[in-house]
Amino acid sequence: MIDGGIFGIVPFGDIIFKYSMFSTIGFVIAITFTILVYLTKPEKQLEAQKFGEDKLIDIPLHELKNRRYMAIVCGIATAGAMLTQDIFDFALFLTLVGIANIGIVSAVKREHVLNASFQYGLTSIIATLPLFGASALILAKTGTLSILELHHLNKNLLFEKILYGLGMAGETGVAPYYAAKAEMFRAPGSPYILMIHLSSLLLIVRTVEILLTI
Amino acid sequence: MFYETVIISFIVGILSLFAIGVQKNNLHALILTDLLECSLLCIIAAVGTDLAEALILPGLVVSMAEILAIAEVLVVREKVRGKKLNDFKINFDLEILRTSPLFISIILVIYGAILSGFTGGAVIASGLLYYFFCKRVLGENIINRVKWVGICGFSGIAWSLWIVGFLGFYLFPKYWLVFLLFAGLGLVIKVCSKLGLLGMAE
Repeated sequence: MIDGGIFGIVPFGDIIFKYSMFSTIGFVIAITFTILVYLTKPEKQLEAQKFGEDKLIDIPLHELKNRRYMAIVCGIATAGAMLTQDIFDFALFLTLVGIANIGIVSAVKREHVLNASFQYGLTSIIATLPLFGASALILAKTGTLSILELHHLNKNLLFEKILYGLGMAGETGVAPYYAAKAEMFRAPGSPYILMIHLSSLLLIVRTVEILLTI
Repeated sequence: MFYETVIISFIVGILSLFAIGVQKNNLHALILTDLLECSLLCIIAAVGTDLAEALILPGLVVSMAEILAIAEVLVVREKVRGKKLNDFKINFDLEILRTSPLFISIILVIYGAILSGFTGGAVIASGLLYYFFCKRVLGENIINRVKWVGICGFSGIAWSLWIVGFLGFYLFPKYWLVFLLFAGLGLVIKVCSKLGLLGMAE
C-alpha cells in the first residue's frame, strides 16, 4: 500500500471516506490553507500610469466576498477529494474544484483575465469526457468503483488510467497555467489564487496515489 | 454493442474537438462543447447497469453547471468590453399563439396529473410553460409579484409533503401505499410549480 496504512473508514452508505496516513496529511494541509484564505485580506495594487499620477486600486467588498467564497469552496472540495474512496466521487470533486477555479479567476473584471477564464472553462469542459469516460470504462471492466475493492482485483487498467490522468490534467492540472496566462499574480486582490495552485498540486498528488493503488 | 458505442462516442468527441479548435466565435465554441457532453453521457449509458444509471444524473448536472458558469463569464466579458447586449424583443403576431395555448396546456396538465410523480410534474410544467410563453410573446402582462411569491410558497408546501411521504416509508412501512400517494402528489405539485415559475420569470 502506497498510502501508509489505514486508520479507519467512515461509511456513509455509498460514499466511503478513508483515513490513511496520506489522505489525513493532505486533508490537514487543505483545511489549513482554507483557514488561511479565510483570514487574509486582499492586497491593494499600485498601478503605474503612463500619464499622470499612479493609481491605487481598491477592491470593493462585494467583489472580495465573492472571490473569498469561491476560494473557500475550492479548499473544502480539495479536502473532500483527499478523503474520498470512490473513483466517481473523486471525479465529481475534481469538477467542483474546476468550477470553483473558474469562479476565482473570473471574479477579476478585466478583459484579459476573463479571456483566460473562458479558455480554462472550455478546457475543463473538454476534460470531463476522458475523466467520466474513464470512470465509466473502469466500471464496465471491473464492476465496481470503490478504490478499496479495485485494489484487490489486479486487472490491467492501463488505458483507463491514462484517460483518467488526462482528464485530471485538463480539469484542475492546467489551472495554474491559465492563472499565469492571465497574470493573476499582478491582478488586484491576488492572494486568493493561492488556492488554485494548492488545489492543483494536492489533486495531482492524490490522483497519482489513486492510480498507483488501483 | 458496448464497444461500438464507446468507440463511436470517442470518435464524436474527437471530431467535436476539431470543430472547437477551428471555431473562431467564442459563443459557437461554447455551444459545440455540448456535443462533447452528449458523447460523455453516451459512454456512461453504454455501461448499462443500474450503477451507471445513477452516474448519468451527476454527469449531466456537472456539465450543465460548467456550461452555465462559462456562459456567465462570457456575459460579464461583453459587459466589461462596454458592448450593449441585445435584449431579445420578439414582436410577431401568429394566430396559433392566440388559439392553441389553452387547449394544449389543458391536455398536458390532465395527462401529467394521470402520470403523477416526477414525470407528471415535468409534463404539467411543459404545458404551463407553453401557455406562459405564448402569452409573453403576445405581449400580455402575466407577471405579478404576488403570484410569484404565492407559487413559491405553494411549491415549498408540496415539497414538505413529499418529505413527509418519504419519511413515512421508513417509519410506518405498513401504510406504504398512503405514503407513496403522498410522495407522488407532493412531487407532481412541486415540480410543476417550480418549472412553471420559469415562464413567469422577469
